[in-house]
Amino acid sequence: MLTEALILGLFAMSLDLMVGYTRLFSFGHAAAFGFGAYASGWLLLHTQLPMLCAVPLAALLAGIVAIGVAWVCTQATGVSFSMLTLAFAQLLYAVAFKWTSVTGGSDGLAGIPRRGGPFGFDAFSSRTGFYYLVLIALAAALVFCWTLVRSPFGAVLRGIRENEAKTLALGYNTRLYKIAVVALAYLLGGLAGALYAPFAGFANTELVFWLFSGQVLIMVIVGGSGTLIGPILGAAFFLVVEHQLSNYTEAWALGFGLIFIAFVIFAPEGIWGLLTPRLGRAGPGTR
Amino acid sequence: MVGLLQIERLTRRFGGIVAVDGVSMEVAEGEVRAVIGPNGAGKSTLFNLITGIIKPSEGTVRFAGERLTGLPVPRICQRGIARTFQLTALFPEMTARENTRLAAQAREPWHWRFLGGSEMFASAGKRADLALERLGLTALADVPGGFLSHGDQRLLEIAMALAQSPRLLLLDEPTQGLSVEETAQAIETLAALLADGSLTVLLVEHDMEVVFRLADKITVLHRGAVIADGSPQAIRENSDVQRAYLGGLS
Repeated sequence: MLTEALILGLFAMSLDLMVGYTRLFSFGHAAAFGFGAYASGWLLLHTQLPMLCAVPLAALLAGIVAIGVAWVCTQATGVSFSMLTLAFAQLLYAVAFKWTSVTGGSDGLAGIPRRGGPFGFDAFSSRTGFYYLVLIALAAALVFCWTLVRSPFGAVLRGIRENEAKTLALGYNTRLYKIAVVALAYLLGGLAGALYAPFAGFANTELVFWLFSGQVLIMVIVGGSGTLIGPILGAAFFLVVEHQLSNYTEAWALGFGLIFIAFVIFAPEGIWGLLTPRLGRAGPGTR
Repeated sequence: MVGLLQIERLTRRFGGIVAVDGVSMEVAEGEVRAVIGPNGAGKSTLFNLITGIIKPSEGTVRFAGERLTGLPVPRICQRGIARTFQLTALFPEMTARENTRLAAQAREPWHWRFLGGSEMFASAGKRADLALERLGLTALADVPGGFLSHGDQRLLEIAMALAQSPRLLLLDEPTQGLSVEETAQAIETLAALLADGSLTVLLVEHDMEVVFRLADKITVLHRGAVIADGSPQAIRENSDVQRAYLGGLS
């Protein structure tokens, strides 16, 4: 379960690049995860590629596909953007369901191996080894995102978040920036999915379903959007609560819904916002 | 001399309304030109046409001999045109320095890079601090934009435009919504800024005091068309202008 929490943490963090740092609400981020999972699953089942090659390759593919998706989605802004991301996720869901020869249809892909190599290196194939692989991936992604949001690129993303029209008027091609951030978010989300497939041993349509897109959005908001650690905590929190509540009732989602509502009303900055003392962060102020 | 900015027969229709009607004008290098006119004369539309936010129905805009018409907004800005907005537009959660630095960053090569970049922040930051200083905002550099007074926000927006080292600065009603004292202060700051003649400015303004104090040349718009063009003295004495605009005030 710890490994799963780390994978979901990576997934939630990738979404927060869009939601928290650029204010691009994706309602279809499961597409990234699902695509990564199917791609790495297929590569591991049908090619001889070792896991250490198949996983990054699947993530890269997700990032490349995202450029096309983002090119279409960024034609719109606000709610329309969100709806388009949802539409693409549903499109992918339909493909996963119907293209049986590649995706296994409603059965999904099963028996995905954690193939060792290259050069006979198989320390990551065991359960513990795989946990460390995920941990390394998450740490690397965290460092990457941390650098990203503090870079000149990150400064422009912040500009887009606060006032896109002004950012455009300052001479930034905001659409290209948005496409880039969606591609990066999908790449990292795809990486999470690509790790999930050999972890769980399967990839099925649930991983592309809109419910999962909503859940990851909840993880981000509960954990604290606009931070990198927050969504990771949010993902862990989500898993723990799901685990505990489902011991008592099948309607655990109802309980989590109440928790979510409480967070939105009483702690909009999320778990991370509660943990870190107010660092003099400015409110929105007046315009 | 050929103007830095040349506008030829620029027309923009919104449905049946002609907001800008065959406007031709030039802004020479080093000149401060004001565009005046009553509400609805088409002043802001003219700015939006120059900066590409809206496309003209007819006519062209040339900048340093290059045609701007049809280019997207950021490309026009990258040619060296910076602007402020009639309704203050800045980043409320960023400090004044961060606001200005983000503006300056757009002029840096590789301004989109996503790894490292601390030396770029340093060089953009230097230009940002200089711009803040020229507008007397140094003491407020660490205050978030949203917490500044309205007057300081107007000045900050000008600082952001200045930090872009523009070849042409477009100011859309810089004293809009300011109190009498704030306006007087803003005029002094702007006059000091423009004193050395290194900036080329096109400014839209309502307040006649501001215009006659700052401008070298004035273009008068009325119902979207140019009705007069000349020195402040000539404009003051022009009877058409008095009838259309100045007369209406007294």
